[in-house]
Amino acid sequence: MEVHWGHHERVKLHPVVEHLLDEYRAGRLSRRDFLRRAAVFGTAPSVAAALLAACSGTTPSPTPTSGPVEQTAPTPTAEQAIPTMSSPSPQARAIPVLRAAILMPAGRIHPVTVADEGGLCVLGQVGEYLCWSDRDLMLRPMLAERWEGSADARVWTFSLRSGVRFHDGRPMTVRDVAATFQRLADPNVGSNALSAYRGILTPEGVQIVDERTIRFELERPFSNFPYLVSSDTYNAVIMPEDLGDNYENTFIGTGPFRLKEYQPRVKVVFVRNPDYWGRPAGPDEIELRFYEDESARLLAFQGREVDVIARVTSLGAESLASVPDAAFIDFSSATHLQVHMRTDMEPFADRRVRQALALCLDRVGVVEGILLGKGDLGNDHPFAPVYPSTDRSVPQRQQDLEKARRLLEEAGYGGLSVKLVSWRGIEIPDLAAVLQQNARQVGIQLELELTDAGTYYGKAVFGESPWLDSVLGITDYGHRGSPDTYLRASLRSDGVWNAAHFRNEQYDRLVDEYAAAVDLQRQRQIARQIQELLLEETPLIIPFFNRFITAVRKGLQGIEPTAIGHLRLAEAQMV
Amino acid sequence: MISALHAALPLKRLIRRSMSAGFTLLGITLVVFLATNALPGDVGRRILGPFADERAVAALNRELGTDRPLAEQYIRWLGRVLQGDLGESLARRQPVGEVLWPALLQSGRLALVILLISVPIGVGLGLAAALRRDSVLDYLFLIGTAVTTVLPEFATGILVILAFAIWIPLLPVSATAPPESTIGEQIRYLVLPSLPIALVLIGYLGRIMRASTIEILDAAFVRAAALRGIPSWLVLVRHVLPAALPPVIAVLANQLGYLLGGLVAIEVLFNYPGLGSLLLTAARQKDFPVLQAGALVIGLTYYLANTTGDWLFRRLDPRQQHRFAGS
Repeated sequence: MEVHWGHHERVKLHPVVEHLLDEYRAGRLSRRDFLRRAAVFGTAPSVAAALLAACSGTTPSPTPTSGPVEQTAPTPTAEQAIPTMSSPSPQARAIPVLRAAILMPAGRIHPVTVADEGGLCVLGQVGEYLCWSDRDLMLRPMLAERWEGSADARVWTFSLRSGVRFHDGRPMTVRDVAATFQRLADPNVGSNALSAYRGILTPEGVQIVDERTIRFELERPFSNFPYLVSSDTYNAVIMPEDLGDNYENTFIGTGPFRLKEYQPRVKVVFVRNPDYWGRPAGPDEIELRFYEDESARLLAFQGREVDVIARVTSLGAESLASVPDAAFIDFSSATHLQVHMRTDMEPFADRRVRQALALCLDRVGVVEGILLGKGDLGNDHPFAPVYPSTDRSVPQRQQDLEKARRLLEEAGYGGLSVKLVSWRGIEIPDLAAVLQQNARQVGIQLELELTDAGTYYGKAVFGESPWLDSVLGITDYGHRGSPDTYLRASLRSDGVWNAAHFRNEQYDRLVDEYAAAVDLQRQRQIARQIQELLLEETPLIIPFFNRFITAVRKGLQGIEPTAIGHLRLAEAQMV
Repeated sequence: MISALHAALPLKRLIRRSMSAGFTLLGITLVVFLATNALPGDVGRRILGPFADERAVAALNRELGTDRPLAEQYIRWLGRVLQGDLGESLARRQPVGEVLWPALLQSGRLALVILLISVPIGVGLGLAAALRRDSVLDYLFLIGTAVTTVLPEFATGILVILAFAIWIPLLPVSATAPPESTIGEQIRYLVLPSLPIALVLIGYLGRIMRASTIEILDAAFVRAAALRGIPSWLVLVRHVLPAALPPVIAVLANQLGYLLGGLVAIEVLFNYPGLGSLLLTAARQKDFPVLQAGALVIGLTYYLANTTGDWLFRRLDPRQQHRFAGS
């Protein structure tokens, strides 16, 4: 199909996008889901919106490009491609310095090894990705202008933006991009992104097509691949080919800010990059102050030493609620806790015992009591409500003590006693305590053993980790833009984080089919089967998905956090 | 300690003490090293986190040298330290000195302000309470210090921030002054974080000062001096103070290591990049070169503070001088 609009522009659509458009027309896709899915297949948001408008007969406002072009997806201009939430308001006041409290980076900040929220937040100010995964899981072009997947989702081609320069003045080339991904996928480099690329991308799979085009040939079909090279894989900031070890000396990147001053363990200050390829940053200067502790961040906000807190807990947000000039940015994420039950060991080898424990839990009480309402209910599978492919019509599991007792009886357990291990941090001790209380009501005695995080995760390999070896445990999973990692690593037979030791051939097959399914309707059908299978088998209890909360001073607009831990300040303005 | 006190010659005693201190420090490094490595997981895993790929962890451990046998790692580290090289931080990947000295300097500043506040007030209050023994003032002092010594510092910390930085915005919340600020300005930034510790220390020092002053006031040589008609202020300055101070000095000497490396709660709350939080983070990351150096610095501080304390102790207390002269 070819869509004609504007004066003389013709756009040939990707077959997947064409199919999506049909689904939308048939009413099987919401507008938002269409936009998200079209973006994965490289259709710029503005174009996708124009397509929808064309469908409904209203006048589209397409991307202006000069001259007749024929392409698989149109080119957004720089202005449109910058991730924006709001356009500058005419009443906006200039911000000389914007101060934000972020988590203390755990150690040396280096794009290849960064593995913590503080570090990636700093990195995200100066570095940029091929595309940006926003808080609605929409992919927006950043250093790639467009991308396209093959029909089997095995080969992905990205066209790079031209006119992008690193902070030292050198132009960004296709070789820099290739080197970035080859480094991250190389098992001989201590790359933190390796676990994301495992089984999908090898250094050899990264190929230069021409000066502006790069191709990824994957080891297996993966229809959500663009998320893996987006900001979701926070290590994937595009870096110069000759990136050295001492990144902290330069904090080089292509982003809207560049380094002014770095004081380890104290703060980092960035100034506007005058040579930025996109719209220049709003604030003249941003100062990210490092804090270990939430109460210190809250007090600094109240004392007006910072105007943004990158992330606050539900409890922190509650305590700021009485501060008159505090406002919140609050959105759903896929961040969650998993309670795993060893499916290959007593007493949880019997599926009924696993179901019984899951039925004990008062989820609504957990979300209200522990998260103060700042969470979405979980249904014991990793399909968070935020994912477009999640089938939300699968019935929600609810507390049912009677049924739990009956299941235990059928399984031949009058009463039983199990050790629950985890670490002391975030909502884990609270969830463990509630589960302990709930379980007692049906005769399951849980003995809690909470250590520090390092002890719980141990060497993080089977046989040398309380996390992966325990009969019952709680593990914290950070946000991902697509559910694939959770589905594979923590539940597939060969999953490296499969703490439940879940082995189910049907499940494994479904997960492969899900990864290969390119259109959303198909993904959703498979998702439903996976959701139902996991509810029946219950290798995991997933009680909730956290909401991500950022605190800002009232009047500050345009700040864009992601559930991964980025905090985009380039568009910030004060109104 | 006991044998050292009984040694006759100060120089000989100093040498013996230094040697024993050397061995103690060596022991400390061995214990710290073993304890750090007894924690589960490895350095690469701690740095990259539980969800990093095993191969990436192995590559990082190889790069850091933390895949080598423990004995080899320790001996290699010790060899470098003996040549004056503290090694490289595993998590920060820069020389330990560059990580440690700024933190030590920060902690030193904070400790100094705490001492400047708490020593004069503590000693003064203790002395006053002892001189007015069993008066209302004395009772108030005893009750007040009983309260302040048990106040947990993180709780008082939050309280002083709320009171003096938010409700009445007099002082800054964070303790780190801008680099170009004057000494006065730097002290202003350090007042709030000093208060919670100073409160505890004032109570502690004050009570010791009070007890030791009361003991001295009852001692025969003080009563004899008074009987000889020496004015009471002169008795106080010449006889009571020097004799009452040594226990206070001994306690202070013992607290110095804690003031430098133990104020984690305060450092975290006031976002102050001191030694305590540096070492806590290093322990979490199994960053043993930093931990070792920190332990050495704190151990050395204990040694120096106690040696100086003992010396002052003997100089000030006539009874001690007498004992050494006679032994």
